[in-house]
Amino acid sequence: MALDSAVRQAFEQALSPADVISDPVQCRAYECDGLTGYRVVPDLVLLPRDAEQVAAAVRVCHERKVPFVARGAGTGLSGGALPVADGVVISVSRLNKILEIDPVDRRAVVEPGVTNLSITKAAAPHGLYYAPDPSSQQVCTIGGNIAENSGGAHCLKYGFTTHHVLATEVVLADGTLVTVGTDTGEQAGPDLRGVVLGSEGTLGIVTQATVRLMRVPESVQTLLADFPSIAAAGEVVSDVVAAGIVPAAIEMMDTLAIEAAEEAVHAGYTVGVPAALIVELDGPAEECGVQFEQVKAICEKHGCTRLHIAGSADERAAIWRGRKAAFAAVGRISPDYFVQDGVVPRTRLAEVLDRIAAMGAEAGLRVANVFHAGDGNLHPLVLYNADAGETEQAEHLSGGIAELCVEMGGSLSGEHGIGTDKACSMPRMFSDDDLATMQRVRAAFDPDGLCNPGKVFPTPRLCGERPGKYQAHPLEASGKIERV
Amino acid sequence: MTSAATVLRPQDLGEVQAALRDTTGPLQIAGAGTAATWAGLLAPVDAVLDTTALTGVITHNPGDMTVAVRAGTPLAALHDELAEHAQHVSLDAARIAEGATVGGLLATGDAGPAALVFGSLRDVVIGVTLVLADGTVARAGGHVIKNVAGYDLAKVVHGSYGTLAVVAEVVLRLHPVPKAAVTVELPCSLAEAAEVAARVLGGPTEPAALEWTSDDLLLLRIEGTAAALEARTARVRELLGAAAVVAGGSGSSRDAGGAAGAGGADGAGGADGAAINAGGADGAAGGVGGAGHAGGDDPWARHAALTRGDPAAAVVRIGVRPSRLPALLASLPVMAATAGLGTGVATVTVPAGAVADVHARVHAAGGTSVLRARPAGAHLPAWGPPPSAVGVLRAVKHAFDPDDRLGPGRFDPWM
Repeated sequence: MALDSAVRQAFEQALSPADVISDPVQCRAYECDGLTGYRVVPDLVLLPRDAEQVAAAVRVCHERKVPFVARGAGTGLSGGALPVADGVVISVSRLNKILEIDPVDRRAVVEPGVTNLSITKAAAPHGLYYAPDPSSQQVCTIGGNIAENSGGAHCLKYGFTTHHVLATEVVLADGTLVTVGTDTGEQAGPDLRGVVLGSEGTLGIVTQATVRLMRVPESVQTLLADFPSIAAAGEVVSDVVAAGIVPAAIEMMDTLAIEAAEEAVHAGYTVGVPAALIVELDGPAEECGVQFEQVKAICEKHGCTRLHIAGSADERAAIWRGRKAAFAAVGRISPDYFVQDGVVPRTRLAEVLDRIAAMGAEAGLRVANVFHAGDGNLHPLVLYNADAGETEQAEHLSGGIAELCVEMGGSLSGEHGIGTDKACSMPRMFSDDDLATMQRVRAAFDPDGLCNPGKVFPTPRLCGERPGKYQAHPLEASGKIERV
Repeated sequence: MTSAATVLRPQDLGEVQAALRDTTGPLQIAGAGTAATWAGLLAPVDAVLDTTALTGVITHNPGDMTVAVRAGTPLAALHDELAEHAQHVSLDAARIAEGATVGGLLATGDAGPAALVFGSLRDVVIGVTLVLADGTVARAGGHVIKNVAGYDLAKVVHGSYGTLAVVAEVVLRLHPVPKAAVTVELPCSLAEAAEVAARVLGGPTEPAALEWTSDDLLLLRIEGTAAALEARTARVRELLGAAAVVAGGSGSSRDAGGAAGAGGADGAGGADGAAINAGGADGAAGGVGGAGHAGGDDPWARHAALTRGDPAAAVVRIGVRPSRLPALLASLPVMAATAGLGTGVATVTVPAGAVADVHARVHAAGGTSVLRARPAGAHLPAWGPPPSAVGVLRAVKHAFDPDDRLGPGRFDPWM
């Protein structure tokens, strides 16, 4: 172990000896997050019980210059919670209380270890819910959601975590406890809250959050529609948007993803169909009814081969079960797979899917596609067999897809974060000055760089020579933006 | 206040960079000047960087509902340009009609009644190009609405009042202009309005805006498809009681001059009831200047005038948990006010001498406050007690602007 016993004792003093794990076998349980390809066994794992203990632990880190990585449920898909060598993991799993549900002002105050779905469960008796709904919502924590600025299927209409977290209490890298944000959307001065949101644990550890609760909509209408081609389904999405409709969700799956999902949960999807769309509308009954008829007509206009309308809450749940199980379900049709998370302008969906298919064919690998069609957030699943030595090819293809998204005017990540996984691709999307300016923010919060080091930003150690020279952003090359 | 200062009026991003890189000394960043007196009183500067030549749309992708725009573009002009696509930025801050620029609205963190559904500009900004005090040009975000790559620097400058960086370009998410809108008015006191608002927000009607104004009116706006609007309006009126009437004018002040055919009239159909606007408006808002857009029967134009307030007095912007807002406002010497009963955001005109007390009371209620307008040159406290994260604010300021060039005095005494 690289951290000496005096450091361990300092942590034991700050918490209690029982809350400091040093046994390498136990520490191994924390060696990775949902991106299991990257593993580092931490020297120590700390299990504080409240914000004060988190602050005390971080003060020890600050005094002894020990890097630390905050961890929620470890469901992240970008290696954002990957431990660092000679560092500690600070798990917030014991900070798992819902402190307040305020049905009048429609907000909840929660600790970071609370799971996403449990907020909605606690709010449900008041007719309220917490809107962002990542597919992992049963297990992922709000602390992790804040770190990643998580989205979900319904964020086209309702926005991402940043739109729903009003304030957070944060332990800064020197162990001080501050609050960023306020009780409302109004705040005096710069929006530090919005900077912490989505900073992937690099600016501090969130120990409490005030989140907005939404009223459960009066009416929800969901349909599952099959199409003869991805392009036809894509045209439906375009027409829905052009009609001025903002669906609660609009999701697309391709043949492979449909096959996997249907095999896993028998949700009533049509196996073999080239593309399926899930469209969900919600709102006041009259409004929802009018717009749903419009959406049905648009589906039919574009050659929909089957239109299944959820006739009950159970049928709706079944449709969503298929969609939300799609990632895991792919495990049934492939021994191994990578999940990507790139974003393209929505109008380029068909084009990017063609390119991905071509790249897959060239690499000799299958790619299943499940994605948030309304906002252009792709989730290509690159299928491979590690035992057959396909890992490197798959990694290469997966990274290539993310960079293709940037090339098409999009982003490396829509909701999973940059983490360890895509840090080396950041120079594809941002110039040295862009990244250096972000690093100024980083240094303002954490001058010693102890807070989740090695994530988000490319480092020579992680990326070798790759970060290298800046290449013109495609928008710049096409004259859409100017760079000086 | 800065009459001796040199005015720099860059024509493009390169000139902004040069203006900062090739100069030293304190500098004010100015847009249309619609919020020039907001926040702390500006200390003397050597130069004013005028952003009003940085105008125009860089890219608009109607199918993607995003637009990249130079920061000196007045939002009203942008809305005019987007109107043919029936799209807009879902922001209806009161000063948009006065020519406020996109960059200025971002730097002041401004928002209007539509914040109930859409939040403030921080919630629709998806990308930004900044120029730091040393001339560094930095981009963050991008051109897609969903994007978590890198730090969200647009948030850093939201509410920074020109103290951290020049906002040169902004990329925004757009929303469809509602096909139809209608506003229902209910004459009532703030206390009554709060009760009604709680009932509305506890129900399924999903208003687009819900505001009380100090001419004793509750304003409730509904937006949506024309076909559904009548039924929804009827439900709201039932909820609000017999005294509620459908207001005249456009459904939404921001749409009044722009989005053709998007006004309220079409959907409201044969809505009866004339606007209740006699008496109230001239009573409370009679002394309010700059109300040139306050059309007689447009409730949102009246609302905007009351929000802009009386520049001869002091105007303070407040945010507090919505349920605490009525009692808080009742404790203040309010001359004019607009209050978002769902958002908890209010803008109050008070006597200049009361500003310190307003900050203290808002703070005691757990809220946040900033001075928006003051009698010319008056030294009034712009901010309440500093937030717990003021140390981080100072560190960010130092990291972006180590020589303290930009907007000196704006955050006095915080930083």
